Formats: sequence, structure tokens, C-alpha cells
Amino acid sequence: MARPDKYVGIDNDVNGGMTTIGKIIRDAWVFDLIDETETCEGWNFAGVDALLDKVNKEWDKYGCLVSHLPHELFERHQKFHGEAMEKARASGWSGEVETEDEK
Amino acid sequence: MAKVYDAGVKEYRETYWMPEYTPKDTDLLACFKITPQEGVPREEVAAAVAAESSTGTWTTVWTDLLTDLDYYKGRAYAIEDVPGDDTCFYAFVAYPIDLFEEGSVVNVLTSLVGNVFGFKALRALRLEDIRFPVAYVMTCNGPPQGIQVERDIMNKYGRPMLGCTIKPKLGLSAKNYGRACYEGLRGGLDFTKDDENVNSQPFMRWRHRFDFVMEAIQKAEAETGERKGHYLNVTAPTSDEMMKRAEYAKEIGAPIIMHDYLTGGLSANTQLAQWCQDNGMLLHIHRAMHAVLDRNPHHGIHFRVLTKVLRLSGGDHLHSGTVVGKLEGDRDATLGWIDIMRDSYIKEDRSRGIFFDQDWGSMPGVIPVASGGIHVWHMPALVSIFGDDSVLQFGGGTLGHPWGNAAGAAANRVAVEACVEARNQGRELEKEGKDILTAAARHSPELGAAMDTWKEIKFEFDTVDKIDVAHK
Repeated sequence: MARPDKYVGIDNDVNGGMTTIGKIIRDAWVFDLIDETETCEGWNFAGVDALLDKVNKEWDKYGCLVSHLPHELFERHQKFHGEAMEKARASGWSGEVETEDEK
Repeated sequence: MAKVYDAGVKEYRETYWMPEYTPKDTDLLACFKITPQEGVPREEVAAAVAAESSTGTWTTVWTDLLTDLDYYKGRAYAIEDVPGDDTCFYAFVAYPIDLFEEGSVVNVLTSLVGNVFGFKALRALRLEDIRFPVAYVMTCNGPPQGIQVERDIMNKYGRPMLGCTIKPKLGLSAKNYGRACYEGLRGGLDFTKDDENVNSQPFMRWRHRFDFVMEAIQKAEAETGERKGHYLNVTAPTSDEMMKRAEYAKEIGAPIIMHDYLTGGLSANTQLAQWCQDNGMLLHIHRAMHAVLDRNPHHGIHFRVLTKVLRLSGGDHLHSGTVVGKLEGDRDATLGWIDIMRDSYIKEDRSRGIFFDQDWGSMPGVIPVASGGIHVWHMPALVSIFGDDSVLQFGGGTLGHPWGNAAGAAANRVAVEACVEARNQGRELEKEGKDILTAAARHSPELGAAMDTWKEIKFEFDTVDKIDVAHK
């Protein structure tokens, strides 16, 4: 199967958006790097990679840990990621997906 | 009367079945599980295994007269029923130590599991256990550093160490790979790890990977004040290339490298382990391909043998199975080979599948690595089962955290520290695990999210290879 050259958008992503790119987009919302209505649908992967670089720079300020975020960012993180978790579960995602190919 | 050459075929048991024989302390002892062809007497087939794995051939040859057969031959000295299985039996064979080159597990295996496994009198054959005499153990190099030296090098005491295999296993660029390592180490892991089949593929050549990973280690160390490591897989197509990669890992300051000891080969592994010892490097060992050898209960080589072979060949870590994860692993058998990895003297214990006393002399121990299909909810059981001298390795259980790699790492670090603290206070981990983790999660949103992610998972797979049960 040919690799798609455009991202489908977090609303259309597999596992209810509980994917690597989905996490990047949610973190970008938390850090206000993109508008929270931006789903990144139609972005090419270089664009997503550039966004990841910006997200990483933000996380580096807080040691990459949610528990190190200042209160306002922590609340935003809880909101975006909490909603995403509910949506992913509703779409059938569970943590088991994350460990099922291990040996 | 002088020996007379006889070209005729005689029964093996005339020469190699010696039930009156008392094994010497210097003998190498082996226990085989034999499934004979129908109609072949047990003593004959046991003697045939002893013969074919030592001095024998299918017929008497004139050169037999030039050797001291009575000294060099393997001796089948006992036979036992296999509990619960009438199709096979255990045969115990003693080999004189002089049959084997010093320090060479390669030579031992070539003899014991060589041509004999294709022998026609057998339907199936499994090497269940070996007792290496301490006189032979002392000729082997063994683990490069051992458990206590590793703790000193890594400055980690009083708890299991934590690791994580970087995913996706194939296809990441070196830069993104290094970033994943950094996040895991920054979040609280002690080690990250190359997957066993990450060598030097076109998408990520080894030198590029080593550079980015080392940058990640140094950044994480600077920010956390802790010693960190990544198992840089130096497994390569040739041992020269393997050594080149190991030398580079040392040059850039990596504390630990990794080898796939079965697919890479035991000669290469022994060479690498000796180099690690000479150069102060730790050596992590992956067991890829082991299930090809050890999973069939009637044929192959039991993992406890592969464990002993690795300890002799050399490695500081060895994947052991998890008992509580989703992967293969009978609890009692796993506890048996964990003892074989770590202890200096292991008593015969059939309830754990250990057929012989094993004295390791002064040889250092190997740290068992529990890896695969485990997450924070398994932490209480893992700490209870494996104790402190272990590496608990969460791949999906770290990188699959819905908040990302660092959050997954932090969740596991908080969980392990909470479990160790509770254990040290005398609490029963497996009974009180939920309370212990719930209390810890009040101060760690990362752990709370991990518990919420994985709480519904249950692993209820049965194991294929179990300890042989009471005879039916």
C-alpha cells in the first residue's frame, strides 16, 4: 500500500486520534502553537515534522513532564488530552493496542 | 587378551549404559528428555544418546582401539520417568571434562546438541539441563562486569532498574530515535534499548544512531543528575564489524552495548564479552531465536540451558520472560532460570525444573530482564517476583502512554519507587498493589493516566512449555 503524502486530520485518524501524530497535535494545542480548531488535515509530513520540532522545544522547557507544567498549561493539557482519551475509548482504542506487538 | 578389531555393529548399551556409575565432581552432567522410536529399549536409546554426543559412531571403527574409550566416553547412568508423559523419559549422561575445550561453550554445545539430535532411534530429543562442573566454569570468562559492578557503574541501588525498547522498531530516523530515547530517559528510565533487529539498516545506519542516542543520554544525564544508558546493538554480519561498532560505542562514552547472542553466534558473543570486560563496558543480551530452540516441550534445548550457556559465554543482562505479561513463561520455571542467572550456587529443585546442583564458583551473575507486554499495573508483581537485581522493561507500557514517552517513563518510575518503598515497609505487594499505586498516583498525574489507560487489561494466556507435572 502506498504511503499517503497528506495527513488525514486528527478527527479522521485511526484509534480515535490516539496516535503519534495525534499526540503532537494535542500538545501543539496545549502550547498554543496552532489554533485548537486546526486538525492538520491535508498537511504534508514535513509540516507535521516541523510542528513536532516546535512541540519538543516547548516540552524541553518543562523537562518533558506534564507534572512540571505551570498551572494554566497543566489545565489545558488535562482538557485536550482528557477529551482525546474519551474519544479514543469511544472509538474502540484501549491501552492493549500499545503492548500487543511486544516480545 | 589383546583387543581384536570387530567390524560388526553392537548395541550401544553394552558400552555406554552404566547404571552403576557414580558421576565425578569434574564430570559435565546432562539431562535429556528422550522420545524414542517405538520398540527401542530405554537403556539402548539413552546409551545411544550418550555415545553419539561423545565418542561413539554408528559402528565400531578400528581407530577406537587407539583411544582410551573407557576414559573419554559419555556414560548414560540413570533413567527416570517424565511426570505426566509416558511418551518420553529422562536420561542422565555424564561426560568427562576432558572432552571439552576450556572456556568454549561452542564446543560443549557442538558435542551435546550436535548430530545426536538427528539420530534415527529418536523421535524427539530435548536437552533439559546441564551441570557444568566448577572446574569447567572457572575456565570461562563469564559476565563482563556482573551485578554489583553494574550498580556501581550506573550508580543505581536498592531498586530494580527500568528500561524501554524504542518503538516503532523499524523505520525511525536516527534523530527521531534519539529524541524518543531522550524523552524516556528524561522521564525517569535508567535505560533505553535498541530492538534486537535494529542493526544498521538503510533507514538508520549504526554510527548515525549511536551519535544521536549518545547526545540523548548526555542531555538526560545533565538534566536529571542521574547516570543513563542505552543498549546500543552492535550485532553485525561479521565479528570484525561487531567489534568496530563496540569500539565506537566505547569511544563516544556509552556505558553499555547489546548483542543478540543466539543469532549473532556464541563465538562472537564470547569475544564481545571478553572485550567488554577488558574495556569496562556492560553487555546487554537479547535472546532472539530462543523460542525456535526452547518452546517445544519434547525437542530442542530448554531455556535454562541457554541461560547457563550465556552466563558462561558472557553477558550482564539477559531477557528472562516476565511471568505476568502476555508472553510465554511458567512462573516456577522462570524463577528457576532467574536463580541460574543470578545466584552463585543453585540446588537441584525439580519444582523449578532444575535437575542438578550448579556451582558457579566466583563467576559474577547476570541481571534478568523482564520485557514485553507489561505496564504499571504489573509493577507490584514484577517487583515481588524479580526483586531488586533486575531490569523491568516497558516498551508499549512506556511509549504507549497517551501523554507521550516521558509521561510513560515517569509513570513507571513513580510506580517502581512506590512499590519498593511499600515492600521495604513490609507490605505485601501483590496483595496491596492497587492501594500502593493509587496512593502514589495522587502525586503523579502521569501515573494516574497510565493506570487509567491500562486498568482494563487482563492477560489470561496459557503457557505452552510448563514444568512437567506429577506423573499421571
